[in-house]
Amino acid sequence: MIALETHDLTVTYHKRPVLYGVDVEIEQGSLVGIIGPNGAGKSTLIKSIMGVVPAAGGWVKVFGKPIKENLHRVGYVPQRESVDWDFPVTVMDVALMGTYGKLGLFGRVGKREKMIASEALDKVGMLPYAKRQIGNLSGGQQQRVFLARALAQDSDLYFMDEPFTGVDAATESAIIALLKEMRENGKTVLVVHHDLQSAKEYFDHLLLLNMRLVAYGKTEEMYTNELLQKTYGGRLTILDEVAERAAQIPEASHRL
Amino acid sequence: MVLDPWGWMMMMCFFVALPCALLGAYLILRRMSLVGDAISHSALPGIVVAFAFVGDLSSPWLLVGAAVAGVLVTFLIEQIHRRTRIKQDSAIGIAFTSLFALGLVLIRVLLGDKVHLHQDSVLEGNVSHVTYAKTVRFLGLDVPDSLFPAAIVAVVTVALIIVFYRILTLSSFDAGLAASLGYSPGVVHYALMAVLSVVVVSAFEAVGAILVIALLILPGATAYLCTHRMKLMLFLSAVHALISSIAGIYISVWFNGKASAGVVIAGTLLFLLAWMIGPADGVLVKAIQRRRHLLD
Amino acid sequence: MELLSNIGFYLALSLGQKAVVAAICVGIVCGLLGCFVVVRRVALVGDAISHAVFPGVVAGFMWSDERNPWVIFLCALVAGLLGVIMVRAIVSSTKLKTDAALGVVLASFFAVGVFWNSTLELAGVDGFLFGDLTTISDEDLWLILGSTFMVSVLIYIFFRPFRVLSFDEGFAVGLGYPVRFLNGLFFGLLAFTVVVAMQAVGVILVSAMLITPAATAYLLTDRIQRMLGLSVLLGVVTALGGWWIANLDVRFQSGPMITLFGALIFSFGYFLAPRHGVMAKFLRHAGRKSRVHRENTLKSIYRIIESDGFKSGGVGVTQLAEMRKISFEEVAKDGRDLVRSGEATWEEGETAIYLTSSGWRRAAEIVRNHRLWELYLTDQADYAADHVHEDAEKIEHVLGADTVRKLERDLNFPQFDPHGKPIPSLEATLQMEQAVGKQEETGY
Repeated sequence: MIALETHDLTVTYHKRPVLYGVDVEIEQGSLVGIIGPNGAGKSTLIKSIMGVVPAAGGWVKVFGKPIKENLHRVGYVPQRESVDWDFPVTVMDVALMGTYGKLGLFGRVGKREKMIASEALDKVGMLPYAKRQIGNLSGGQQQRVFLARALAQDSDLYFMDEPFTGVDAATESAIIALLKEMRENGKTVLVVHHDLQSAKEYFDHLLLLNMRLVAYGKTEEMYTNELLQKTYGGRLTILDEVAERAAQIPEASHRL
Repeated sequence: MVLDPWGWMMMMCFFVALPCALLGAYLILRRMSLVGDAISHSALPGIVVAFAFVGDLSSPWLLVGAAVAGVLVTFLIEQIHRRTRIKQDSAIGIAFTSLFALGLVLIRVLLGDKVHLHQDSVLEGNVSHVTYAKTVRFLGLDVPDSLFPAAIVAVVTVALIIVFYRILTLSSFDAGLAASLGYSPGVVHYALMAVLSVVVVSAFEAVGAILVIALLILPGATAYLCTHRMKLMLFLSAVHALISSIAGIYISVWFNGKASAGVVIAGTLLFLLAWMIGPADGVLVKAIQRRRHLLD
Repeated sequence: MELLSNIGFYLALSLGQKAVVAAICVGIVCGLLGCFVVVRRVALVGDAISHAVFPGVVAGFMWSDERNPWVIFLCALVAGLLGVIMVRAIVSSTKLKTDAALGVVLASFFAVGVFWNSTLELAGVDGFLFGDLTTISDEDLWLILGSTFMVSVLIYIFFRPFRVLSFDEGFAVGLGYPVRFLNGLFFGLLAFTVVVAMQAVGVILVSAMLITPAATAYLLTDRIQRMLGLSVLLGVVTALGGWWIANLDVRFQSGPMITLFGALIFSFGYFLAPRHGVMAKFLRHAGRKSRVHRENTLKSIYRIIESDGFKSGGVGVTQLAEMRKISFEEVAKDGRDLVRSGEATWEEGETAIYLTSSGWRRAAEIVRNHRLWELYLTDQADYAADHVHEDAEKIEHVLGADTVRKLERDLNFPQFDPHGKPIPSLEATLQMEQAVGKQEETGY
């Protein structure tokens, strides 16, 4: 089954186009690394799929339906720096946030939710820290908490934004073990990653991105010189140049 | 049974301080403290215009006028910093000073000097009028009627925060996740601003335009230094509001000063105390911990 | 001192003239400091300081006989500086963020002032809350003049380091500038300015004088030197204008009127500023929109002529309407737009459109851009062929001559687009243009 399908997904960010017409179909049960140089639009791809950043064009389907109708089947792990770690919440509180999606607007957090959150925390080895304020954690621990929150969401499709930045080696291998376990359980996971070397070992599929989709496929097939050259061989200068000016164009001009 | 006047004043202060304290805690966490300041200043022209029409300080139309002004200033700030190169802090400064100045001019022009909506009370508020207001029998007590609007606003705000606690907290902590769950950060923002405007007006009469910011920020800031738990932070903010209301009236009586300013001073003292010995983030507490750490 | 305090006497200034001099001075200092405040994004620090000076004002009133301005000035300055120090202390020693620290300081200092004032029941303190230019005494004036001179000289001396500091604090550290000292000086001057200006506009509205003229100047120019000059000019105009309006009616006070007048000037700048104003942006947008629309019409005409084998220099209105799938009225309107811009002429009775030579050149350019871009996307950017068209629709209008030349070179001067249509080369276009020109001369 196709877990995620995008067609002609185009995004302008602060009036600047950062992604051009991305077409991709991702099978359920894939562990996908999204790879590309800085500024290639990796995070933007995830955010636009989730609808956190509005897309300028194209569409996204999750398990055959528009993403808005299937939000409850999607989990999102933002970059660690995107939140304020001084916020007065505990590790447990953050894990519980994972259950909010299914609770709806007025559902109350009960025993069941607490069970789910504890289990998730246990899985990432953070249960002993459940009562700690999140600011008193190391980078790796913070990332584990985010992962636990994603587990508590119990989604079928996950997007993770750079989960390996600033974490210790132990956490990194713990995360990757967890990701592989999730894949075995039929989850589909897309991970933004910047390290080409480790990507080879971590993911079974790679999505090469540089302002547009360079290629998507099995990891071993992606390691060709030509594709890597296209991904990392600098930006397409003209595309970049024109991108800025195109952002200024009023939408009405689309009509012939 | 009749409570003594000071008791009623304490109650009045608490009822206006409580909703401010709870909303303020979120303002601090969302790094929007000064938007609260802008809204509290800008409520003035709304109140003056509404008052000029209805001529009654306790009319609910004043709430409407102030809420309109509050939304207007948020809108102006957005228009200035979205459409031009001017940054948000300057946009806030331009918008609220203009509206506040407009309010001051309107007081003189529309109301003249004869009305008791004086500039002084606009800035600094006046709590003591609770004591000579008309009273209503309620639960066997002669309750001053001006207490009711404040009490209603307080109860409604507390209820709203309890009901939407989860969404408010989530969207303040991680707007991205909230958005991905379908809770638009924009909707949360504007809803918060609207409630804030109403709360600010309810506090306006008692403490004035400028001291409202104290009721908004001091409790949350104090609680933030004392705890790392969200619910506890809200609870401590409420406690701060209660203690400063009571202690503030005492202070104002002892020194024969303005009650509203007394409440803020009590609140400031609590903040200073928390700054030094707050269990979570107090300077002295941290120093002792560091010492102990070194000794180990 | 005797001599100094009688400056008004020596200069024989009337009350009104004193107010005018004070207004000019306040405009100058606020304009100068305000520039840096706006570009450094510390506008709300100014606001916090302005509230924080209030207890100092009260202290000054209490500790001086007959309202000695020097004592008040000093006390207010001390209170303002204490406020700044407290903000810094809170931010550096706790996890509270700057906005909360500013809020705390602003509110608590102001409350202390209000409370203290209410216990003493001093007369005249309120004048500092709202500002009153009419009560300026000779000594006040001397103080304001001296302060203005001092602030101006310091800004002149420290202009370069301040500019670097405002733009990039890290860079200033790298240059070896004493950043701590400079920051201290800057916020010290800010507190100083607030104290000077509060006489005229009052404690609460000082931020208006500080921010609004400078922000207006920021909309009008891109250079900091010019911004400083403009900001000073606007500051003076604002203060004088507000003062003048305040004199029109006894109910008007100078503080609020100066604020409102500043806001009025700002709103002019907001709408009418030549480059950064809302109106200019709107017009640019509308101009671009209509150009894009015209170019799309030209392109359609080109295509019809192309499909005809370039036999005629014009197209019928019916053809055009069919091609673009729009009504006759719309075609007529589009045609009139082209005629107005000199890119086409009507046949008698508006039944057909003929391109002029400039219109023809533009049409060929657009088609060339479009097809080149399509080719570039499929060839070099690996676009799926079915995406290409819509994207090219947008891009073709913004490719500059240099980009087109680069594209042609990169693509090795191609003849045909991905769909097999010929790409009009620059030469061919010129030939066609001459042909069209001849038709024009011979009356079609």
